Amino acid sequence: MKFLGYRRPDEKVGVRNHVIILPSVVCASEVCNAIARNVKGTIAIPHPHGCAQLPFDAEQTSRTLIGIGKNPNVAAVLVIGLGCEVVDSSMITSKIAESGKLAKNLIIQEVGGSPKTVKQGVKIAKEMLSYASRLRREKVNLDSLILGVECGGSDACSGLSANPALGVASDLLIKEGGTIILSETTESIGAEHILAKRAINRSVRKKIFEIVKRTEMRALSLGLDIGKANPAPGNYAGGITTLEEKSLGCVMKGGTGKIMEVLEYAEAPAQKGLILMDTPGHDAESVTGLLAGGTQIVAFTTGRGNPMGSPIAPVIKIATNSFLYSKMKDDMDINAGEIITGNKSIQEIGEKIFHEVIRVANGKLTKSEIWGHREFAINRIGPSF
Amino acid sequence: MKSEDVDRMVILSHPKDNVATAKFPIKAETLLTFSDGKKIEVREEIRFGHKIALRKIPKDSPVIKYGERIGRAIRTIEPGELVHIHNVEGERGKSKSKNIG
Repeated sequence: MKFLGYRRPDEKVGVRNHVIILPSVVCASEVCNAIARNVKGTIAIPHPHGCAQLPFDAEQTSRTLIGIGKNPNVAAVLVIGLGCEVVDSSMITSKIAESGKLAKNLIIQEVGGSPKTVKQGVKIAKEMLSYASRLRREKVNLDSLILGVECGGSDACSGLSANPALGVASDLLIKEGGTIILSETTESIGAEHILAKRAINRSVRKKIFEIVKRTEMRALSLGLDIGKANPAPGNYAGGITTLEEKSLGCVMKGGTGKIMEVLEYAEAPAQKGLILMDTPGHDAESVTGLLAGGTQIVAFTTGRGNPMGSPIAPVIKIATNSFLYSKMKDDMDINAGEIITGNKSIQEIGEKIFHEVIRVANGKLTKSEIWGHREFAINRIGPSF
Repeated sequence: MKSEDVDRMVILSHPKDNVATAKFPIKAETLLTFSDGKKIEVREEIRFGHKIALRKIPKDSPVIKYGERIGRAIRTIEPGELVHIHNVEGERGKSKSKNIG
């Protein structure tokens, strides 16, 4: 099976063709917004990071920003730095450019302030937009596709309808040579034995237990129950009783394949097939990590109704129940609630999701794109100093 | 008292499960009937997506969904009762958890 995508210089294939204006640090965010406002069709990705971060966080922020720039959905990147921040904007730009992609850098303190940087940035962004507009989609195999699978605002139906159906779609994509990244380590707690059984080898098996233990210990070292943050109040109201119940439903999204590799947050996979990435249960942070790892499309199941999207990728929303689907139709792409009512099988909805993924890869806009949802959040490990 | 076929009203995700998930809001006193003739009286209103005990779950024994342990009964739960945070406790990610990793 094939789809129409944008082949990039590094042979990776995008399903979108964005020009992004990326700040290396929070202080450059408004300049990025101003450039994007003046060049319609470009996207600014403001964020609150990039400075006063300890080395492990500075490294994670850099890795994420580089990964977002290198994501094949992005045609060209303008990186705006301030000049005195921890996360070095010129390093980020050159790492992105290593992929052969058009990437440029402006540093506010060197250019001489906000208005001058906006003026120069607008000129560069216009050139980038003109370049991107000349690129054409071409026919490529489905093995170029990385689908991130995510759940947010889960309810007790998530594990009975949308997640197992997404699991069917995951298996179908892997059969075509594609890649699935399953994440949200917090929501593997209590289900890690199921994942570990499917590890391709002993070192992957060990790493699965390691990332789950690390996440559980991180909460416990603060002397707190994870249950204070996850499951969320809406999860409980939707019928989820414990973290284990949420986790057992959550891991079904990846399907039944062997787990080939375990990635750190925002790391790009070296393998194909089913991959695990260590991200938190926080949806925007998790999706941002997936995209920095090269995911082109996200399939996102929700029971309570989460409308979030992403600045650079289509996010396909799958409702776990028909009450939600009819209530929030404008945010939902697929209704898996028909499984609960018995009108459709898990297999049927799974195939429907798979075909929707291909349609979206070909250019069909998702509801989150149509509504302009651009949520973006980089996971951080420690506090600011 | 209204009698309903159990498969119409709830989803049992695995044969080992001792709880099932409500497909619709279920009124108290509804009689859920099984194919073998067994009946369970619903003891309280069960909201859509919430769980109902299909068997007696003694205090401290596991609550099973998806064929897996999702927590521990903190008191004995009778068949037909709502199974949720008032009578079940998760065992993972707890500050007093003995059961890590």
